[in-house]
Amino acid sequence: MSSLLKVHSILAKHLLSKVEQTQPVLSRGLHISVNRKDAKVSGDVSKVYPIVDHTYDAVVVGAGGAGLRAAFGLVAEGFKTAVITKLFPTRSHTVAAQGGINAALGNMEEDNWQWHMYDTIKGSDWLGDQDAIHYMTREAPKAVIELENYGMPFSRTTDGKIYQRAFGGQSLKFGKGGQAHRCCCVADRTGHSLLHTLYGQSLKYDCNYFIEYFALDLIMEGGECRGVTALCLDDGTIHRFHSKNTILATGGYGRAYFSCTSAHTCTGDGTAMVSRAGLPCQDLEFVQFHPTGIYGAGCLITEGCRGEGGYLINSEGERFMERYAPVAKDLASRDVVSRAMTIEIREGRGVGPEKDHVYLQLHHLPAEQLASRLPGISETAMIFAGVDVTREPIPVLPTVHYNMGGVPTNYKGQVLDITADGKDKIIPGLYACGESASTSVHGANRLGANSLLDLVVFGRACAKTIAEEHKPGEKIGNISANAGEASVANLDWVRNANGSVPTANLRLDMQKTMQKHAAVFRTAETLQQGIKLMDSIYAKLKDLKVSDRSLIWNSDLVETLELQNLMLNAMQTIVGAENRKESRGAHAREDFKTRIDEYDYSKPIEGQQRRPTSEHWRKHTLTTVDENTGKVTIKYRPVIDTTLSQDVATVPPAIRSY
Amino acid sequence: MCAATYLRNTLKLQQFLGLRWVSSTASNKSGTTVIDPPDQSPLIPLFRNRKGESIQRLKARLLYQSRKRGMLENGLLLSTFAAKYLPVMNENQLYLYDQLINKPSNDWDLYYWATGLKPTPKEFEHEVMQLLKDHVKNSDKKCRIRQPDLY
Repeated sequence: MSSLLKVHSILAKHLLSKVEQTQPVLSRGLHISVNRKDAKVSGDVSKVYPIVDHTYDAVVVGAGGAGLRAAFGLVAEGFKTAVITKLFPTRSHTVAAQGGINAALGNMEEDNWQWHMYDTIKGSDWLGDQDAIHYMTREAPKAVIELENYGMPFSRTTDGKIYQRAFGGQSLKFGKGGQAHRCCCVADRTGHSLLHTLYGQSLKYDCNYFIEYFALDLIMEGGECRGVTALCLDDGTIHRFHSKNTILATGGYGRAYFSCTSAHTCTGDGTAMVSRAGLPCQDLEFVQFHPTGIYGAGCLITEGCRGEGGYLINSEGERFMERYAPVAKDLASRDVVSRAMTIEIREGRGVGPEKDHVYLQLHHLPAEQLASRLPGISETAMIFAGVDVTREPIPVLPTVHYNMGGVPTNYKGQVLDITADGKDKIIPGLYACGESASTSVHGANRLGANSLLDLVVFGRACAKTIAEEHKPGEKIGNISANAGEASVANLDWVRNANGSVPTANLRLDMQKTMQKHAAVFRTAETLQQGIKLMDSIYAKLKDLKVSDRSLIWNSDLVETLELQNLMLNAMQTIVGAENRKESRGAHAREDFKTRIDEYDYSKPIEGQQRRPTSEHWRKHTLTTVDENTGKVTIKYRPVIDTTLSQDVATVPPAIRSY
Repeated sequence: MCAATYLRNTLKLQQFLGLRWVSSTASNKSGTTVIDPPDQSPLIPLFRNRKGESIQRLKARLLYQSRKRGMLENGLLLSTFAAKYLPVMNENQLYLYDQLINKPSNDWDLYYWATGLKPTPKEFEHEVMQLLKDHVKNSDKKCRIRQPDLY
């Protein structure tokens, strides 16, 4: 019933040749038994998995903006660092960020990072941790100037300063001074420039990249993280990275939904690795939606379309926004538009064979106006939806744009759990940053151009924390001889999975269920129904069918591992959403329409009794999930209101209005 | 180097090379002139051709690399393209496709070239790029909202 992992003494020949010469990778003889459901043998190489061992001061999982910033910070401090990534670094999803990065540089008008801090706390709907928001906005100008010094060619004003543009949610003078110009950009390629610069800089040092390696699991020993396991996609070898420090920078999990703007690779691998290690994820119920993505494809159709006179219609051809927002109509705020679209669909007035989306009509506008004012829209609509916008409407749907939740960390990037008496507990050796983390600077909603800032500031913070607390070459706690056994067993199982449900079918079921039951319209009924459906979908993971049995460049295998990851994220998201009985930021409950804080902040606080934690929702949700059953358990963690220093005051909760 | 010196130097360089890169961005309604300096960020390793890769293995790699992109637009375009053409491409076409999807460092460039929003550099103006451009045009008005199933 068991098979041996092949004992190999191979060198990691796919590494940079320099690495081969100077740092021969250790490899040890290993006997790991793998329980296989399918005991069929017969010369099948499938039962043999060569294992390669590596030792590093730090391992970074993911090579997007956050991972590269962390890696660069580490190698610059002399730490022997490995970066494991399933994609070539400049192909990370950070490349999609064309917008920019917020920092109160004050180049366009007087600005102050404390105003940026105020905006971010307000944007978070007071679910953000104020120490982390304090840290991020204070460090933002330094972090951006550093990037400039590393060679990022920021767009400039004629007097040579970094040009800064206006972005929604950014104000001056604590919301009272009008629109701020705070967003720095590199033309329309800020994300790519960030990746390119940081990747290039890290290579000036001895940073070891393991490109097109798929990270499988954390190696946990005695409550400490001591590395990760990964699969090399190019040759099918298993790699164990024994490491003093492990940083997760794996991005979001937009692909748990049917319609999302994230790349197909955003499958929440890091959050799932943490979940499998029995550690909690935080605030996954907070998912940001954009009202108009192309149905299923996810390509954003800019709000400018509605600004130019485009409008939404339902299956009866009715311009339904007139009913929901008689004055603003199609120009109502994002959440109003998303909610109205969803209600139309729920009440049976959706379009398409499944009546599960609505149309955005533009063809009443003059063709010249479409071409001059909305460049690119007609191409996007034709390329992906096969729609000629001068004659036909575009199928659209509220589309997942960002995951506020993730792996809980403090402002230093250290991963947290909570003790039985409600205190934060640091998980030694484990860090997280970027969209995969919940630091929590975005709280219940993220502001535009704050995500690139999050990547850079907290990628940098992870490296700084490690540099403060550790030295290169420090002794690492042992890992057991069979560390990684469960990951290999799962890999083996997946590769030989011979049930009745192909991966793509189960993935689509999950995505449609999440889109229907856990998107913008949330009630106890829809969510509970969704949980039931998701339970049965989760159970089908055991009945998966994988068709490709190979170990090399096996997309079917990788996408099945990704589906396992997505499913862990999805379960925690929908259960968290059902559990949170209030509306806050991006989490809007039809049956609990208000935000429920410790006081009712719409009235004077004097004379009010403070609600105990069990009776209000200004607290973080911590979810853990049983990998076997998909059953989710919920705990809570208090929101941190104190700032990092006494000279900066806490921003007290208020009713959020824009 | 302070920003002003940097700008002066690059302006000199620009005059010397006879280039124009001062532009006013569309988003800038206040009329401020915005300058996009040339990219001088550090070099990153160039794509290297892999030696001794069997056709079967090459196709498997290109399938993975077509489906796993940084932005969803390319994820959809290249995955649908790969499903249609990878099985029938000859060795030379596979080579050209490998270069096309792996050499450019910015996925947006590939997208703009394939959609015709920017001119394709000579290096990539070849038969496979033409196939991709025709595929992107979507003249049979197919709905391409998901990556094709693998099996």
